Amino acid sequence: MIYIIEDDRGWENYYRRILKDYDLKVFHDGVAAISMMDDAVPELVILDILLTGPTGFAVLNEMRSYPELAKVPVLIVTSVAMKNELAEQYGVAGVLDKGKMTPQELLEAVQEALA
Amino acid sequence: MESEVFGASSSAAIVAHELKGPLSLSRQLALSLELENSLADAREIGRQIAATSERALRQVEDLTRVARLDDALFEMEPVNPRIVCDEVVAELWKMFRFNRRELKIDYRNKQRLVVANRQLLYSVVYNFCLNAMNYGEEELPSLVAVYDKQGKIRIDVRDYGPAVPTKVWREIKNGLVKKPVDIAMRPGSSGLGLYIAAKFANYMRGDFGLVRHRDGTSFYVDLPISGQLSLV
Repeated sequence: MIYIIEDDRGWENYYRRILKDYDLKVFHDGVAAISMMDDAVPELVILDILLTGPTGFAVLNEMRSYPELAKVPVLIVTSVAMKNELAEQYGVAGVLDKGKMTPQELLEAVQEALA
Repeated sequence: MESEVFGASSSAAIVAHELKGPLSLSRQLALSLELENSLADAREIGRQIAATSERALRQVEDLTRVARLDDALFEMEPVNPRIVCDEVVAELWKMFRFNRRELKIDYRNKQRLVVANRQLLYSVVYNFCLNAMNYGEEELPSLVAVYDKQGKIRIDVRDYGPAVPTKVWREIKNGLVKKPVDIAMRPGSSGLGLYIAAKFANYMRGDFGLVRHRDGTSFYVDLPISGQLSLV
């Protein structure tokens, strides 16, 4: 199961289309996603940074504070320009820029993160 | 949190980020057409690209108008607010549908004209609606309302977003909105759309404000009633 934390419905539709072969669960804010992780730990989290409610960074920090969630791979997909060092600091599986990535790159990043 | 993300949180960076969102999505959707086998799905993607691009274009037009407000190019005239609201809803209903949201109208007063500039009033209502779309729920439609309020006509749009902090509410109430970050009060919002609405409302000598509800916010503009009889 892949959890997608994305508050823009346009992007949600996009993910559903591109990742249609995967089992997806979409959350529009991080609080709902984190609380759902109590019941079912996802195999991968695709995370936006600017969210309604806590930012993606806050979600990451929260996840890292729970041993059972700390090792769940997280793929950041955002419009915010991010330095690689910042991604490394948070220990994420990858960072994709919404303005530069291609659908193929998204698919490959998901496959790699799940491998 | 916005400053954490943007670094030195300049207005230019916020404008750039706001425009990057719809442009990035349009590009992704266009690229995804290559992966699509179904003609019906391809057409749906095409419609979504058009709607997303129109949103970005309108933001650019609004920013151009903000830059030209000092030139006093926008004449005040009698305007029927219901017609303006109807036009905004007609333009945005597809965008709301793509986002699995609903936009409804509630006209409570008898039909009257206000003193406004039609283009600017359109942008005010449009930006209120876009803001509401970000904070709606599928079962709770955003509501555009027009009604009498203390000798003026109030046009407001109700959303169901997180509470607006008291500090921001005071700044809006006291007309202290000088840049987008002044009203970037809710996560996920740069405040740009509401900043534009505030600028246009102020230009039209309207009162821009908000009413906090237990489960959301109504942003409004109060405009003077025109002495001219309704044209419709």
